[in-house]
Amino acid sequence: MLPKLPRDRLLELCRRMFLIRHFEESLVPLHDKGVFGGHYHLYIGQEATGVPAISCLRSDDYLFTTHRNHGHLLARGAEPKRLLAEILGRVDGLNKGKGGSFHSVAPSLGFLHSSGVVAGIIPLSTGTAYASKALKNGRLTVCLFGDGSLEEGAAPEAFNLASLNKLPVLFLCENNGKYGAGRAVAAGQSSSMAAYPLTDLPKAYKIPAQLIDGIDAGLVHATVSEAVEKIRRGEGPQFIEAQTVRWPGSETNWPSVPHPTDTSLAWDASGVTEKAREWYHSCDPLLVFIRELVEAKQATKDDVAAIERQVKTEIAAAVEFAIASPYPKPEEAERNFFA
Amino acid sequence: MPAKKDDTTELVDLLRRMWLIRAFEEKVSALYAAREIQGLVHLGIGQEATAVGTCSQLKPEDYVFGGHRSHGHAIAKGADINRLMAEIAGRATGYCAGKGGSMHIAAKECGFITATGVVGGTIPLALGAAFAAKERKKGQLAMVFFGDGAGQAGPFHESLNIASLWKLPVIFVCENNGYAEFTPLSAHTKIERLAQHAKTYRIPSSTVDGNDLFAVRQAARKAVEQARAGKGPIFIECLTHRMRGHYEGDPAKYRELSQLAEWKKKDPLARAAKVLKARKLIAAKEIESIEGEARALVEKAAEFALASPVPAPDDVSSQVTA
Amino acid sequence: MRELAYYEAKFEALDEIMAADSRVHLINGTFLSLSPHRHVFQNLAKKYGDRMMMPPISELGFCGLATGAAMAGLRPIVDLSTGSFIYEAWPQVANEAANAYSMSGGQTRVPVVFHLFHGLRGGGAAQHSGSPQAMLWNCPGLEIVIPSSPRDVKGLLKTAVASDNPTVFVDHTKLLDLRGDVPENDKPIPFGVADIKRAGSDVTLIATSFTVQVCLGAAEKLVKEKINVEVIDPRTLVPFDLATILASVEKTGRVVIADETHQSCGVASEIAARIAESGFDKLKTRIRRVSTLDVPVSYSPPLEEYIGPSESRIIDAVRASVA
Repeated sequence: MLPKLPRDRLLELCRRMFLIRHFEESLVPLHDKGVFGGHYHLYIGQEATGVPAISCLRSDDYLFTTHRNHGHLLARGAEPKRLLAEILGRVDGLNKGKGGSFHSVAPSLGFLHSSGVVAGIIPLSTGTAYASKALKNGRLTVCLFGDGSLEEGAAPEAFNLASLNKLPVLFLCENNGKYGAGRAVAAGQSSSMAAYPLTDLPKAYKIPAQLIDGIDAGLVHATVSEAVEKIRRGEGPQFIEAQTVRWPGSETNWPSVPHPTDTSLAWDASGVTEKAREWYHSCDPLLVFIRELVEAKQATKDDVAAIERQVKTEIAAAVEFAIASPYPKPEEAERNFFA
Repeated sequence: MPAKKDDTTELVDLLRRMWLIRAFEEKVSALYAAREIQGLVHLGIGQEATAVGTCSQLKPEDYVFGGHRSHGHAIAKGADINRLMAEIAGRATGYCAGKGGSMHIAAKECGFITATGVVGGTIPLALGAAFAAKERKKGQLAMVFFGDGAGQAGPFHESLNIASLWKLPVIFVCENNGYAEFTPLSAHTKIERLAQHAKTYRIPSSTVDGNDLFAVRQAARKAVEQARAGKGPIFIECLTHRMRGHYEGDPAKYRELSQLAEWKKKDPLARAAKVLKARKLIAAKEIESIEGEARALVEKAAEFALASPVPAPDDVSSQVTA
Repeated sequence: MRELAYYEAKFEALDEIMAADSRVHLINGTFLSLSPHRHVFQNLAKKYGDRMMMPPISELGFCGLATGAAMAGLRPIVDLSTGSFIYEAWPQVANEAANAYSMSGGQTRVPVVFHLFHGLRGGGAAQHSGSPQAMLWNCPGLEIVIPSSPRDVKGLLKTAVASDNPTVFVDHTKLLDLRGDVPENDKPIPFGVADIKRAGSDVTLIATSFTVQVCLGAAEKLVKEKINVEVIDPRTLVPFDLATILASVEKTGRVVIADETHQSCGVASEIAARIAESGFDKLKTRIRRVSTLDVPVSYSPPLEEYIGPSESRIIDAVRASVA
């Protein structure tokens, strides 16, 4: 379902989802051509979680994210060209080339730190929440992580601290661990986590926890809004598990694009290779959103196509900008590691 | 003191072993006060039933891991109290040649692998022993003791998860005495029963009166059967109380005297003796002589320890690596 | 001049720090380890209780919390108590706090202080006698402070809290009852400034933390042998004041370094390397290190005494360097 928002907000959500999708797809050829190296992780297939969720926040709220951070940064409004430059290790990148994909930050948008260590950010998020509570500035912290993080001891330690101290933190777990077709099937028991459902883990600490379909933008928006309200009212931490179906492009060793995204796929996915077709047909949150927009008469197919064209132009310009940005000078490595 | 096969004498034997622990710990306390023992000691007075009720169900080849409060666990597993006392007194004749001390006991010959000074530090180790035991397919299992304070530590959770996923033959024994160092459990977490964590990871669990030898024994018996049958880990939470401070010298001002008085009434030794008397398995006189015997053995152990030499300085370089 | 006990100076510093800056929060511990002087902590708790948090036994969790809080505008001081416990929190200290500023290209500051008690404390055995500062010196991005006197602990703690960098404050329980001069209204001590604790002319004896006090004792004994030892205390490992040390080496030509970290890759190793690189031509004899031996710390007292940088080992090394 669609979020209960006015048309212009819905179109903005649509634009941001497209932005993430085309940004992420643009990275694959760049990597394969050797324009940047190192591992990278794409947010494709999770856009309907990140975009509506982050839209519920205030401009001064904190966000922590993981190695799968591009979608979150873009959802929050980071400039694609600066994020891309960072991934390419260039001096005009968000971190001046020092962080790379894993560690991209945007403090003015609330992203103080990204960690490449699974669950590395979970204790940190209790810290910003603790600080906000102590400083009484009303800022909330959203901790964005995947299902794997719950296997790390750091996670229950953080849940305990958050619960004990009634910290203003929203733990948003994006469980993309489900393979296979069809949204009707809930994410099965993980082979690396004995607890099932995952919401049992925060519930053990008396943290209210909900399990939702992360492909349903409207449900994400409503659930996150409600959780945010509760936190702002001082009710303490909240936990949401949003389930999505893993993008088939991540099944290969390095990300690969089974089929370039195009608005038309929302109505006709027959051109997609058989292996990936079912995913694009039923599990692609962006395509689901577009279909719902048009069905609800909030936009025409042409409107949507126009948004996509604009986004593609922006991404193309971002790629040009990033490639043209110089590498930092080598001596920069020795600078700026102490304040 | 070998355990006997006959059920009647077995129960009396359990009382003997509890008394051995009680007498031992009281002697350690006295020696510590007399400065014959240095460093830190954490006594398990009041927690004897959890040690004996559980370890009595194990075989010598089963592995036991402990924490900083593990003299009792080692004794319950069959450690030689002479060598144990010598270790705590830092003597060359101790189990670890004086290198480990109170918190780092190892008595390999009876299956007590190691204790640790780091809260929850041996829980992952017990996983490993259980893993090896499973590979070996000889029906061995691992048992690990820890307190309520360990429940908030990350490695505890990671271990529960892995034990459950891999169905490892490990028995988690939580001695919930209500205090993590000087802080009541309620100040550390909103969870009242650590067995709840086991449930989250789908590990069968039970919470028992840790001062009731027979309740502990029964829970342990069941757990051991299941673990040996390959059904995976079990979690036993024993509600108990440590009658001394966190360590010797801790004035324990954080504890209400009334609380201490309440727990005195539930003394595990007195309760076990009462049950045995009621079942006519033992007479009052016998109970006295059990205490007497235990104290006599402990006296000998203390003599042995204090008469033993301290390690020679060159010993530091020995046994660093194999 | 006013004389205070080390623990009094430390708590005077904490009191002044807490009073001056409401962003300072204390997390875990009492900053006293097992010392009996609990009243100073309780007095502090009475005044600033709402800014003091006692977490459960979750070093990883609460060091991460402190780091995150520092990123968000507080200035937390975490007491890990026994230094070895930092190993439980290593990912948050070494991989997050140390790296955040650099990784972010200078955007995210982490003004957190990790306080701990290191070293041989008497019966601590292997798991309670750790001196992690050598390993932490190998994690760029962390400042490391290591006082040895009442005046130093007060002055350095203030600078540590004022610093915008993650700082490891390495203390020692054997210093707590030491008495020394602490002027009223004393100024904070800047990092990267070594202190000549005892001027001398024959041998440069460099030490940190409690070992400084052991060296001062050794120096007094050596006067009888007509050996005049100069004792230098770096006070901070990061940043490190090599210049003061080199000036001393220029004068004496002889160096002994005494430290409680283990010998291999220890603090003494790094100091020796720096002196050898920059002051080789000033040396009249080889540099000698007196470190804790490369063995896990044994429990039994004579063993613990044997492996540490004792006064007798230090004296032997100084004698050997003038022989």
